[in-house]
Amino acid sequence: MINNEEKLKGIINIILEKNGKGPIEQLNCNLSVRNDLGMDSLDLAELTVRIEDEFGVDIFEGGIVDTVQQILDKINKR
Amino acid sequence: MGLFLYHDGQETTYEQLINDINKQTLLKRYVKKSDPYEILKGIVVSLVAEERIVLLDSDFTEEEVKNLGLSVEELNEEVVLKKDKISSCDELLAKIQKSDNRWEIVLYTSGTTGRPKRVAHKLDSITRGTKVSEKYRENVWAFAYNPTHFAGLQVFFQAFYNQNPMIYIFDVNRKEVENVLRRYNVTHISATPTFYRSILPYIREVVPSVERATMGGEKYDKNLEAQLLKVFPNADVRNVYASTEAGSIFSAKGDIFSISPRIADKVRFAEDGELLIHKSLLGESDTFQLDEDWYRTGDIVEMIDESHFKFVSRKTEMINIGGYKVNPHEVEDEIKKIDGVVDVIVKARSNRITGNILVAEVKINDGIDKREKEKEITKILEKRLQSWKIPRIFTFVDNIELTRTGKKVRK
Repeated sequence: MINNEEKLKGIINIILEKNGKGPIEQLNCNLSVRNDLGMDSLDLAELTVRIEDEFGVDIFEGGIVDTVQQILDKINKR
Repeated sequence: MGLFLYHDGQETTYEQLINDINKQTLLKRYVKKSDPYEILKGIVVSLVAEERIVLLDSDFTEEEVKNLGLSVEELNEEVVLKKDKISSCDELLAKIQKSDNRWEIVLYTSGTTGRPKRVAHKLDSITRGTKVSEKYRENVWAFAYNPTHFAGLQVFFQAFYNQNPMIYIFDVNRKEVENVLRRYNVTHISATPTFYRSILPYIREVVPSVERATMGGEKYDKNLEAQLLKVFPNADVRNVYASTEAGSIFSAKGDIFSISPRIADKVRFAEDGELLIHKSLLGESDTFQLDEDWYRTGDIVEMIDESHFKFVSRKTEMINIGGYKVNPHEVEDEIKKIDGVVDVIVKARSNRITGNILVAEVKINDGIDKREKEKEITKILEKRLQSWKIPRIFTFVDNIELTRTGKKVRK
C-alpha cells in the first residue's frame, strides 16, 4: 500500500512538472511549499484541491500552512 | 518632487516622470507591457496629449489578442505627440484635470459571451472615486493590482492626483514585500483577498504604518480580515465592490455594503435580488446589455435596509479566480480545438487560496493515453490562454452531463 507521504509526493510532483521543474525524490519534511518548491497562489490552490480529493481534508481550513510537515500533520490527523 | 514609483529596486521620482514625458515624441496607442513604469508613463503621456490609450494584459497570448479582434498593425499604431513642455507636478495635474474630455482609456475584460469585452472610460468615470485633498498628501500607496486592470487604475489615480508614492508589490518576490512596506512606510494598500493570502505567510512582524487595507474583487473573507489586523494593527480594513464596467461603487466594513446618498438613485434591485446599476455610472461599451437604462451586474444581493445590502451569489457563469473573472466558454472553446477532444466542460472548484480554480471534464477519443493527453492539453493552452484561465485538473469522462434542455450542467 502506498503511504500518505508517497501520495503527497506524487501530488507535489504533478505540480512541479507543470512548472517545468524536476520531481523531488525524497519528501523532506522541512521543505516550504512556497519558498523551496516555488509554488504560487494557483499552484497552492491546485495542491489543496488535489489533497482534498485524495485525503478528504482541507489543509488551509485552520489558517496558513507552509511546510510539508504541516501538510502531513493535517492529513494524518484526519 | 517626491517619489512616483518604486519597482524591483528602481525608484522613479515625479521629476523623472515629467522629464521622460517631455522627452517623449511618440505615443504607442496600444500598451502591452509588463513594466509598470512604462504602463503608467504611457497613461500619463496619453492624458497630457489627450489621446486615447488602450491597455492590454502583457501576458495575453497571440490567440487572445486575435480574439479581441485586433490586428498586428493596430497594435503597432504610433501617434505623434503635440504637447507643451511641463515644468512641475502641479502644472501636470492641473493640465490633466482641465482637459476637455477627449481622453479615453480602453480596457478589455472577460465578457459573458466567449469574447472579452471592450470597455472605454473617460477621465470623469475612471476618477469618480478619486479623492484629492491635503489630507491625502502624505499617503504612501502599495500598488498590488495589475496596472492594466480597472482596480489598478483606481489606485493609480488616487495616488497620482495626490502626488503620492506608489510602491509596486504586485507580481514581485513575496519575500520582499514586508521589507518594502516597512522601508517606505506604506499607509494604504488595496488588493484582492488572494493577494493578501499570498503575502501574509511572509509578514513576520507587524507593519504599523498601514492605516487602510482595502480588499475587493472577490468574496469577502472574514477570517482574512482578522489575519490582516494582526499584521496591520493600525489599519482600518475595508471591503469594496468594484467592477470593470463601473469601477468601485460601494464600500463596506465587514460584509454589509452601504449605498452612498450620492448614488442612491442610480442603484436598483430587481425582483430576484439582482443588483442593477444605472448606465450613467458605467464606462462605454457596445457589449453592455442594458435593460432600458440599467446594467445587470449578475450579482444577487440581499437588502438589509434601504441603503444597505449583502452579496449572496452570482447569477452568471463567470468564475472568479483570485480576482480574475474567467468565462468558462472561452476556455472550453480552446480545448475543443485540440485534436482528439470530443467534448469538454469547464467548472469551478472552490478552495481557500484563490476562491476558485478551473477544473475540466474532458471526453476524448478512445485509445488515447489520458495522462499524456492532459499534459498535451496543458501545453497547448499555455500558448493560447493566460495562466489563470488554464484548468488545473482534468478528469476524463465517458459522457458530459447534459440537462434536458441540452445545456451542460456546470455545477
